[in-house]
Amino acid sequence: MKRTFHPLTWWSGAIAISIAVSLTHHTAFNLAVVGGMCFIVYRANRNATDLTPWSGGLWFALKIAVIIIVIRTMIGIAIGVPIPGNTLFELPIANLPDWMAGIRIGGAITAERLTFAFEEGIQIATLICIFAAATSLTSPHRLLRQMPIFIYEFGVALVIATSVLPQLVSSATRIKSAQRMRGIQRRGWAGVALPLLEESLARSLDLAAAMDARGYGYSRHRSRYRREKILPRDLSVIVSSLALIPISMMVFA
Amino acid sequence: MITFNSVSLIYPHSLHTVFEDLSFTIDEGEMVLVIGATGSGKSSLLRLINGLVPHHTGGILAGDISVDGISTSLTKPGGLAHLIGIVGQNPIHGFVTDTVEEELVFGMEALNFAPDVMRKRVEEILDLLSLAHLRARSISTLSGGEQQRVAIGSALVMHPKVLVLDEPTSALDPIAAEEVLSILHRLVHDLGLTVVISEHRLERVIGFADRIIAISADGKTEIDIPEEILKKSPIAPPIVHLARALNLDSVGTSVREVRRMTTHLRDFTPLVSQPRHTYGETVVTINKLSHFYGEKVALREVSLEFKSGEITAVMGRNGAGKSTLFKSIVGFHKSIGGQITVLGTDPTELHGHNRLATIGYIPQEPSDLLIHPSVAKECAASDRDNGLEDGSTFAFLIRLTPTINPDAHPRDLSEGQRLSLVLALILCSGPNVLIMDEPTRGLDYKAKSLLVDTLISYSRNLGKCVLIATHDVELVAEVADRVVFLADGDVVADGSTLDVLLSSPAFAPQVAKVMSPAPWLTVKDALRGIAAATGKDSQE
Repeated sequence: MKRTFHPLTWWSGAIAISIAVSLTHHTAFNLAVVGGMCFIVYRANRNATDLTPWSGGLWFALKIAVIIIVIRTMIGIAIGVPIPGNTLFELPIANLPDWMAGIRIGGAITAERLTFAFEEGIQIATLICIFAAATSLTSPHRLLRQMPIFIYEFGVALVIATSVLPQLVSSATRIKSAQRMRGIQRRGWAGVALPLLEESLARSLDLAAAMDARGYGYSRHRSRYRREKILPRDLSVIVSSLALIPISMMVFA
Repeated sequence: MITFNSVSLIYPHSLHTVFEDLSFTIDEGEMVLVIGATGSGKSSLLRLINGLVPHHTGGILAGDISVDGISTSLTKPGGLAHLIGIVGQNPIHGFVTDTVEEELVFGMEALNFAPDVMRKRVEEILDLLSLAHLRARSISTLSGGEQQRVAIGSALVMHPKVLVLDEPTSALDPIAAEEVLSILHRLVHDLGLTVVISEHRLERVIGFADRIIAISADGKTEIDIPEEILKKSPIAPPIVHLARALNLDSVGTSVREVRRMTTHLRDFTPLVSQPRHTYGETVVTINKLSHFYGEKVALREVSLEFKSGEITAVMGRNGAGKSTLFKSIVGFHKSIGGQITVLGTDPTELHGHNRLATIGYIPQEPSDLLIHPSVAKECAASDRDNGLEDGSTFAFLIRLTPTINPDAHPRDLSEGQRLSLVLALILCSGPNVLIMDEPTRGLDYKAKSLLVDTLISYSRNLGKCVLIATHDVELVAEVADRVVFLADGDVVADGSTLDVLLSSPAFAPQVAKVMSPAPWLTVKDALRGIAAATGKDSQE
C-alpha cells in the first residue's frame, strides 16, 4: 500500500499559499509558486498507479491560465484607467457618455499599463493553478469523504458533480471529433451541447440510482473503513505552506 | 425469494403499460435470465426488484413485489441495499469513488458497518473475484472486465441474497465475459445466491440459466425452463436456430447437448464449400503504423490493406488498439509513425464533401452524431450536407426501418432504430470505406440481423470496403470475410474469417463448436454444407 497524504493536507496547503500569493502580489514569486506546484504534481503523478481523472487537473489549468493572462492583458489594454508613463502606441478613443467619466476605451497604451495588466493576469492564473494543483494531488472524492454528511441531497449533488465534471470534458472532445469526422462543421458548440447534455444527464441519473441502491444516506451514521490520520509528513507540508506567508512577505513585499 | 404478485407498471406521460398483471416467483439459489427485445422492459423489470422503479424513476406500480418477505413498495431502495445488489448496464456510470478498495467499502460505510467487519469482507471479496492485485488502483484505469468485476464485488460485499445484473457482458470481449459469468455461476452454486440477469447475447449466458423470463413485444411475460421458452421464442441463440433448422426433436441450451443430438450429421466428411467472391482494388493502405499515448504503445508497426467489396472484422481484447487503429484510418489524429492512405489520400486531409464520399465513420456511441430534434430534420440536414435530392436520406431510412416515426426525437428511438438512422445518414453519401466501432452493443437479435443484411448488401452490391471492430463473435461469423486480430498493438492474426475463428476455441461461434470439425460458422453455412454433403439440393 502506497503512503498517501491526508486528504486535507494539500488543500490546507493550497489555502495558505494562496494567502501568501494574495498578500505579496509579486510576479516572480507567483511564477516560482506555479513552478513549484508543477514539480510537486509531476513528481506525485510519475509512476503513480492510482491516477484519477482529476490527476491531470493542473495541466488543464495551465492551459486555462495562459488564456486568462491573454484575455486580462487585452482587456487591460482596451479598457481601464489611464496610467501615465512611456507611451508605446495609441488606440483610437471611444466617445463615452459623461456619466461614465473615469472609464475610457482605447487611448494611449503605456508600458506601465501593459505591465500592470499582465501582472494582474498572472496573479489570477496563479491562484487558479494553486487550487488545480491541490485537485491533482487529492481527488475531490477523497476530500468529500472527510466531510460529515449533514444533508443527503447535498452530498449526492456534490458526488455527482465531482464525478460527471471530468467526464464531461472527455465526452465533449469525443462528440466534437465524431461530428468533425462526419463533416459536420461550423455548427460549433451548439451541436455538441445536445448530445453532451443528454449524456451527462443520463450519467447523473445512473449514478444517483446506483448510490440510492447501495444505501447512501439511508443510515444517519456512517462508519469509516480506514481512518485518515495526520502524519508528520502532512504536518510538514502544512507548516511549510504556512511559513511561506511571512517569508514571502519579508522577501518580496 | 422474489415474488411478483399481479404487478402492473406504467410510466408517467406514457400511454401503455410496461407490464400488466405480471406474476411469478423466483426461488432461492436460482439463476434467472430475462430476455426480450430492446425497449420491452427488461431493465424496468430488473429495477422493480430493488424498488429503483418506481421510487427513483417515477411511475405507477400496482400489485405487490416482495423480496425475502420485504415489500419493495414500502421500502426505499436504500433499505434493501443489504439484501439486493444491483449492477447496472454501464458499471462505470455507477462508480462513486476513485479506487477499487474505496469502491468496495462505499456501501458498507453508508450502512454504518463496523470497521473490522468491513476489513474482513473486503479481503474476502478481493480474493473471490481475484481483484487483490488491483486494490489500490484507480478504477478509471482498469479494463472493462476488471471494472465489471469491481462492480459485482461492490454489490457482493454487502452479502446480498439477490444479485441483479443488467447486461453484464455487453461491453466485454468473449474471454472477459466468460470470466464474469463463471464467477456468477460459482456464486449461485457455492453461496446459494439468487441471480437475475438480462442479456442480449444469449449464446453467452444460456448455458448458465435455470429459468428464463421472456418478455414479448406486446408485454406478455412467460417464465419457464430454457428448453421450453426457446422452443418458440424468436429471441434465441444460434444453436437453438440450428436445432430448429435441422428439425431436431428438442432444442439444447449448451454446445454439448446439441453436439450429442447431431452426431449423425457429422458422420460424413464435410465438403469445404465456402462461397468465394473476388474483391476490388485496395482502398485503405496502412504502412508500418505506430501510435502511442504517452509511454503506452497503442499500435506497433501495423501494416494492413483493405480492399473494396470486403468486410473485415477487427477483434481483440479491450485496449488492444482497435479503436486507435480506426481513429487513425478515419483521420482523427496524424499518424506518429508510418502512414495511412485512403484512396491515395492522407485521411487527415479529407474535408467536406470529399470526406463524406470517402469515409463513413460510426462511433461507439452512434448518438454522438445526432444533433437535430427530429428524425425528419436529421435526414433533411443530411440531404443538404451531401448535396442529395430532398428526401433521399429518408427514403433510405424507410427501407431499413419502415415503421420509424419521422417526428420522433432521435433520443426516443430504440437502440436498433437509432443505429438505422445513423446508418442511413452515413450510407446515403455512399462512402468508399464504412467504419463501425462496436456496432452491436445493446442491439437485440432483430436489430442485429438488420445490421448484417445492410452491411452485406452495402459491401457486396455496391463494392464498398467495410471495417467493424467488435467483440461479437456471432456477428463476425455472419458478416465478415476476413478477421484481423489485434493484441497489445500488434496484429497477431490476419486471415479469412473461417481460419481465424476456428483456430481459437474462445472465439469460435456456437455453430462451429457444435459442428466441429466441419468448418461451418453459421446456421446457413451448416445447412448448405449438410445439403451439399448428403447430396440433397441446397435449401436456398
